[in-house]
Amino acid sequence: MNEIIEMVTFILRLMTPLTACVIIFMCFYSLRYGRREEHALIALDDENRNIRYPVLYWENSLGRARGSDIRISDPTVSRDHAVLLRREGGWFVADTGSKAGVYVNGERTTGRHPVYVGDKITLGASVLTLRRADDPTQALQRKKIKKQKKERIVPGGVILSLLTLYFLILAVEGILNMQSLEIVPHTAGLIVAMWTFYFISGSVFRRKTFEIETLAIFLSGTGILLNATHDTHQAFVQLIAMVLGFAVFSFMIWFIEIPDRVMKWRLIIYILTIGLLAITIILGKSLNGAKNWIIIGPVSVQPSEFAKVAYIFVGAATLDQLQTKKNLFGFILVTGMCIGLLFFMSDFGTALIFFITFLVIAFMRSGDIRTVILAVAAAVLGVMLILSFKPYIAERFQAWGHVWQYADSAGYQQVNSFIYSASGGMFGVGLSKGHLQYVFASESDLVFGLASEEMGLVCALLFGVVIGGFMIYARAVATRSRSTFYSIAACSAGGLLVFQAMLNIFGVTDLLPLTGVTLPFVSYGGTSMIACWGLLAFIKAADERTYSSKKRRKKKSPSAPEVYRRKAEAVEESENESEEEFVEI
Amino acid sequence: MKNTRSRSFMVLIMTLAFFAGLIYHTINLVIHSAEWASFPTNAHLSDSDGLEFAGTIYDCNGVVLAESIDKKRIYNSDEDIRKACVHIVGDDSTNISTAVQTLYRPELTDYNFIYGLGVPDALKKGRDITLTINSELQKAALGALGSNKGAIFFYNYKTGEIVCSVSTPVYDPANIPEDIEQNAEYDGAYLDRTISSSYAPGSTFKLVTTAAALTEYPDAESITYNCNGHEEIGGKEVTCYKTSGEVDLKNALSDSCNIYFANLALKLGKDKMTYYADKAGFNNYIQIDRAESVKSVYDVSQASDNDIAWSGVGQYTVLETPVNMAMISAAIANGGVPVKPYFIKSMEGAFGTEGTKGKTELAESMMSKPVADKLTELMDYTAATSYGKDYICPYLDVCAKTGTAEVGAELAHAWVTGFCKDEECPLAFAVIVEYGDSGYSVAIPAASAVLNKAAQIYKNQ
Repeated sequence: MNEIIEMVTFILRLMTPLTACVIIFMCFYSLRYGRREEHALIALDDENRNIRYPVLYWENSLGRARGSDIRISDPTVSRDHAVLLRREGGWFVADTGSKAGVYVNGERTTGRHPVYVGDKITLGASVLTLRRADDPTQALQRKKIKKQKKERIVPGGVILSLLTLYFLILAVEGILNMQSLEIVPHTAGLIVAMWTFYFISGSVFRRKTFEIETLAIFLSGTGILLNATHDTHQAFVQLIAMVLGFAVFSFMIWFIEIPDRVMKWRLIIYILTIGLLAITIILGKSLNGAKNWIIIGPVSVQPSEFAKVAYIFVGAATLDQLQTKKNLFGFILVTGMCIGLLFFMSDFGTALIFFITFLVIAFMRSGDIRTVILAVAAAVLGVMLILSFKPYIAERFQAWGHVWQYADSAGYQQVNSFIYSASGGMFGVGLSKGHLQYVFASESDLVFGLASEEMGLVCALLFGVVIGGFMIYARAVATRSRSTFYSIAACSAGGLLVFQAMLNIFGVTDLLPLTGVTLPFVSYGGTSMIACWGLLAFIKAADERTYSSKKRRKKKSPSAPEVYRRKAEAVEESENESEEEFVEI
Repeated sequence: MKNTRSRSFMVLIMTLAFFAGLIYHTINLVIHSAEWASFPTNAHLSDSDGLEFAGTIYDCNGVVLAESIDKKRIYNSDEDIRKACVHIVGDDSTNISTAVQTLYRPELTDYNFIYGLGVPDALKKGRDITLTINSELQKAALGALGSNKGAIFFYNYKTGEIVCSVSTPVYDPANIPEDIEQNAEYDGAYLDRTISSSYAPGSTFKLVTTAAALTEYPDAESITYNCNGHEEIGGKEVTCYKTSGEVDLKNALSDSCNIYFANLALKLGKDKMTYYADKAGFNNYIQIDRAESVKSVYDVSQASDNDIAWSGVGQYTVLETPVNMAMISAAIANGGVPVKPYFIKSMEGAFGTEGTKGKTELAESMMSKPVADKLTELMDYTAATSYGKDYICPYLDVCAKTGTAEVGAELAHAWVTGFCKDEECPLAFAVIVEYGDSGYSVAIPAASAVLNKAAQIYKNQ
């Protein structure tokens, strides 16, 4: 009997990574081919010079500068003259501190001013006329292509069914290995939660896509089931955190739907970010070296995790704001305070994550490599200071790179991860059958090693592939976002997740010193799980399709004056059509 | 927006670095997985039943040293062979860290990086390992050491095959004594003294001093010193067993004259002595397949002149492993370049592939060919005049050098090292008997027992 069970679990172990690979491939395939091809939304015609500028993005910089989205070679046009942007109510042009000013139909404008098809926008000596972008003669060809493309998207329900199968395989293997039904409620909870989320997302929020969520559920669910075979209580905490994560994710997507509204909330978010960290210092309890826990009754929270989400808000901005207010002073100030507070808590891993996120945002906002170099120099100085004041951190560096020499002391966790990863091979020794589970922090800091041992290296690597894939995806949709606010937020949230995964995985595999940060979504840690879902919302929101179905339902903006509305509808119709079609102009 | 996208390349680079790191880790794991999985603390393997389905271990003649039958590890039926081979083969647990059953447990249990240790029992099929050691010689060596603590190490200086490696005290892996941790009789029984212990080499170290002098001074053979049994060198006394009077290098080595080599070491000086000791393998690990020796030590950085003088005769703080000593003899026999010793003759590969075979590999050169030839001549002369070739082994032409290393008042380790010149039996060896008192009267007879057996095996005598 035992031999049969062993054979069955062995076959299940071989199936696990295979199923996971298929799920991940389908998700990214669907994301890749479901994306709109880059083509003109509208066009600007310079009739005097007979030049047509296709308007490709939701926010476009107009100016003489080389990197401008619409580059106008006219000496009377400023380098960053204006921004042409699209919002709910239609298209707007915003003067971003130009010398010559922006005129719409001959009238000087300040701030955002609505523009419609046929309007003349004057920048310096150039006069640009807003035109529809499509050419009716291509309509036939368009339909053909549309059909081909649609088939390439895998329906969300299919992928989710596969994911259900994957979780069931894991659960059956776990049950057979443990010879107990302890993990049944976790599995049931997980599957019910994810299908509920899927139906709510589709019917209540009317979202067309579910790939990003599916991938994150893959990570979270694997972490929950892996943990359930070692500690059923912890796994429940994780499951509840995932459901809360769904809620936070949905709230965040709603909250950032209108970037201009977020901009108004910014000061409050600034204060909230710093407040969260400051409260931790006052009320915080010290667990495992870092004083970053707040304990309220039975619940212990790590506010620095939420600060990560809030911090992204601080950095991201819409294009017209980026062009008007170019200095990073306020942003650097908030960053400095956050990192300072984290140092004070001895939470150096998170401080490092904030710093890297800062670099990403600072560079994406300004494109100024000098700021980055300066910041890195300051950081190196800072690290040297820490090492002289907190020598126990240097001890971790001491083992770094030659952990085998410190197999009993500073390198103990890494050495054991190596030993047991090697024991697991590509397909693992089976859930609950590992030995790394007895090493301290195996379910959080060493989760990569734990997964390697029990589920095999292939599964563990897939965690990295998915997290890295989020980033590649965030970058791929960067120009198709509804605002630079989303692109910057998505890239920095993606960068944050990748960097955190890097610190975690490379810490275990001795490519970097062990800093004790969690592996996004997978590691045990309720706060971390919720925060990761919060960060994921930024990536989800960067895809223009996230809001597109919702938009169509309330196409008419009641506040717009009647005279504009008709014109606005005309433009919008053409765009809604083109959103799903894939013809280059 | 275009700018925003192009500026995100920074994050892309980070992501690519992340992927590169994952690939690096994977490659690293594939290369080192067997080594990592075989780390002695691996709880998957150190369970007492870790060898349920392990492969068979054979000696060079196909004698089964250990095999798994009905989920049990069965060792050779001859108790003496079991005991003599315990440090090479190992026991069910991983107590002996340099043994085959510890270091090659992943292979024995058919470990591979694809399935790790997660293969179900029904599919488990151990891989067999054939060793280079000869169980008959092992038995003879164990008999020669008897109840003494010590080590005997014989290997083929042409091929590198270790034919005999015994360390005492031993215990029976099929019947591990319960008092093994407490009983002084078993003190250090888990230690393979051939590679995991180092001792003061005493006069055997004079071979290194001689090699240094022969390389440094073209006229080394005509250098003479006067020995009166004792002499003040570097402000303190150096003593000698004999009073040889005016001696040259040849007679100094055969007489094992301390005064001569003490003066010679001082003449060579700190730096040159260290240089030649390093060349002879001191201050470095020796890798024997997956086992790693402890370091032999020659460190005169803090030494006074008198200390240097004493270091030249293998006293002071000089320490040497038996395997290192055998390699020095092997270098002399093999024209200055020793071959690396190994004990895995062949091992089945994963998935039924051919697997690995032991290979003859040269180690770093220890001395030039002329120096090696001259040392051969000197050791031959020493064996003939001081010990008597028949006393060592009547059937083989053996060159040797003994050592009696003082390790405290009235206590001394007995050493002998050397090699056979016979074509059919190209063996180099080192023998140590802890507190054996005399290289001549204790170590040589122990070596003889193995040499006589070797002559019987290789020359049918």
